Amino acid sequence: MEQKKLAVTVDDLTVAYNYKPVLWDIDLAIPEGVMMAIVGPNGAGKSTLIKAILGIIDPIAGSVAIYGKPYKKQRKLVGYVPQKGSVDWDFPTTALDVVMMGTYGSLGWVKRPGKKEKKIALEALEKVGMLSFKERQISQLSGGQQQRVFLARALAQDAAIYFMDEPFQGVDATTEIAIINILKELRKAGKTVIVVHHDLQTVPEYFDWVTFLNVKKIATGPVKDIFNDSNLTKTYGINYKVSVQQ
Amino acid sequence: MNSAQIEIQLIASLVAIACAIPGTFLVLRKMALISDAISHSILPGLVIGFFITNDLSSPLLIVMAALSGVITVVLVEFIQKTKLVKEDTAIGLVFPAMFSIGVLLISKYANDIHLDTDAVLVGDLTLAPYDRIFINGLDFGPKSLWVIGIILLITLSLLIAFFKELKISTFDAGLATALGFSPAVLHYGLMSVASVTTVGAFDAVGAILVVALMIAPAAIAYLLTEDLKKMLFLSIFFGVFSAISGYWLSHWLNASISGSITTILGLVFLLVYLFAPKKGLISVSYRNKQQKIEVSLLTFLLHLNNHTEERERHINHLNEHINWQKVKSKSVVDLALRNNMITLSGNIISLTEKGKSFTDKAIDYIITNDDSEIESMKEDFFLFRG
Repeated sequence: MEQKKLAVTVDDLTVAYNYKPVLWDIDLAIPEGVMMAIVGPNGAGKSTLIKAILGIIDPIAGSVAIYGKPYKKQRKLVGYVPQKGSVDWDFPTTALDVVMMGTYGSLGWVKRPGKKEKKIALEALEKVGMLSFKERQISQLSGGQQQRVFLARALAQDAAIYFMDEPFQGVDATTEIAIINILKELRKAGKTVIVVHHDLQTVPEYFDWVTFLNVKKIATGPVKDIFNDSNLTKTYGINYKVSVQQ
Repeated sequence: MNSAQIEIQLIASLVAIACAIPGTFLVLRKMALISDAISHSILPGLVIGFFITNDLSSPLLIVMAALSGVITVVLVEFIQKTKLVKEDTAIGLVFPAMFSIGVLLISKYANDIHLDTDAVLVGDLTLAPYDRIFINGLDFGPKSLWVIGIILLITLSLLIAFFKELKISTFDAGLATALGFSPAVLHYGLMSVASVTTVGAFDAVGAILVVALMIAPAAIAYLLTEDLKKMLFLSIFFGVFSAISGYWLSHWLNASISGSITTILGLVFLLVYLFAPKKGLISVSYRNKQQKIEVSLLTFLLHLNNHTEERERHINHLNEHINWQKVKSKSVVDLALRNNMITLSGNIISLTEKGKSFTDKAIDYIITNDDSEIESMKEDFFLFRG
């Protein structure tokens, strides 16, 4: 792990809403190829951290680098799975069309998606087991299926680093397994995956790195070294016992 | 039809198309009210443009009016961002203020010109064919036709060029930002198009009714399709349909054209709202009713699955045991019979193989929430369509 390249570096990042800091002086150095969970209580700024890294929210201080360069120069290296609840699923479009949106980044302005983009999208749908739903209107999909469509869209971005905002939230067993399989595949392919995660029990099983966050960074590092009672207690403010989890 | 009539219908149709395009995106972005705000607040821009040029037909008027439309949007967003008032309140605060500045300016300095407030509010298409463009004595047609034609051309080229960008920033602004498509640029682009279109449509339908042409066709189309491109085409279709039939309604009633167009739009919306195949009121209540019966069916099948005793499977037992009304028991039993899920011998009901496997699958689904099991059932039952 020592000499690995850094996929994401965050320096002194501070984000505020209405002058109230929601992320305070965050430093992170995420090595290439890790599966990292970001954990913390509600309101800890987990989603905000991802959004600030992706330039969706402007920080009031600090900087972010993707493989050593600013995010704006490295967009094509980064895939994003937003929270499922962040969009209107009554929007008039199909599953395939949503997945195609993943290819828009490499197309750039004005250029339209064509056969090549459609092929990429179909392959991504197949990977998440949703190929037979390609023509289905997105409001007609179950919550788990919608989540898989979002995952397929990120796969269609064909990125080196993936950010996922609570992909396991409210999904059924099939989808959870589908997501885990995709995560494993991404790991095998040497991608870096950063996931906002709520279920502390599954952290040691699914991830090899973890960042504890509660407005400030509490700890970051390999799960086996830092996923312990002391950090959980510091993050969640109540007495946590890892022994309960595993 | 004489040529003036044709020209009026042509202008009304182009106005309808030009309004339907930005209107579709406004509806999808849940910003329908902002079109109301824009339509009212372009007035001070028009008046100031007129003061500068002293010419009612100067293009500067359109630019100034569009500018004041965009300023309204910026102001609304600024007020809203302070979080001291909510968005609808901010809209309600800004546009009457802008509009009244226009009204004051007209009543104080422009009383003697054509810019009267009535025309501004409801427009007047009947006069459009008489304001024509002549070059070297050659008749080039009505001026409004040219104005709205050029605006429509610009709108269409922007739509074709930026369709993908508009779609992604409307559906998922977060991803659009992450991918480098600035939603702010697209947002203000759309607002500018909406403002310019409003100015262009002003003559024809006035400040109040231009809102109807932006929002109603899109709202109608939204109830009829689940595809963005089709929604755009349908909005355009219903816009043009209402423009032309509205014209003839006004002809027949000898009443205001813009009022008639809007009335037609309202009627079409009402019809679609009631009768749209999937999202209409009637279809939705039918679906809810069916779903209720299907839940009862499932309860009934579960009961049969759990009880093998004849006493429990007697048809009269249903009313007492599951506490159903006679009517309900009958419709549930009928539904089960129709689907070959049960057989009746005398008054004793038995589950068929199909009924048994249906029940098992349904229980599995309810327990695991794994919907691969029930794909085949979705066709026949609303209950499983999510």
